[in-house]
Amino acid sequence: MTGRSELRVHRVAKGDSARPLRHALASFMKAAQVDEDTIDDIVTAVGEALANAIEHAYDDGRDGRIELYVRLAEPGLAEVQVCDEGTFIQREDRQGRGFGLRIVRSIARSVSIDTSGGTTVHMIFNAPRTEPAA
Amino acid sequence: MNPAPTIGVIALSGELDLARRTELQEVLRLRDVHASILVDLSAVTYADSSILAELLRFRADAARRKVAVALLITTRQLSRLVQYAGLGDAFAIYDDRGAALSYLSEAAG
Repeated sequence: MTGRSELRVHRVAKGDSARPLRHALASFMKAAQVDEDTIDDIVTAVGEALANAIEHAYDDGRDGRIELYVRLAEPGLAEVQVCDEGTFIQREDRQGRGFGLRIVRSIARSVSIDTSGGTTVHMIFNAPRTEPAA
Repeated sequence: MNPAPTIGVIALSGELDLARRTELQEVLRLRDVHASILVDLSAVTYADSSILAELLRFRADAARRKVAVALLITTRQLSRLVQYAGLGDAFAIYDDRGAALSYLSEAAG
């Protein structure tokens, strides 16, 4: 494996919090030589989980925190968790709103949501690494 | 003699996520009298489902006014986002600007 095998980063949940977290995820995976198309897909799925957390986790106006945890596991798997201290609401439950969980489930190998004490969206992705140049 | 039908273009770029939702709602509005509209997303480097919700609303508004809409999507991330959301058939999607404009010209004619 190249570079670190874990990433943990957090932000105050605001509208513009998702972008730096997505960038951190993409940079981490790129450094680990994860296949670029796979990085695109994982960032897409995790971006939905982050957006959901930011949009709904702190509807009561609190300044909450969201945390992104990533662990690259062998062979070729990535474990990602998006954690907040608020209430999970599926966007699909809201009229006319997004497709977040559908997109996550289309990309991830497995998805589970733990709502005991905040919300943790736990995702496992296939994350094949590119072969280093000879 | 009637004037040639016009094609309006709405171009979006950069990363389209929750932070830009208000901007998207403002930009994706039918203002002028166009017979058809191309939503040019070729310079979008990332999008989340916020954009899909706004595009669906825009498409519905346009349909009510009989305005044809086509999306120009050339980036893999956005193309796959649409597919993952199950919306591949919900829009007229093109990866070639000329083809999109031809479609809109015919739709407007």
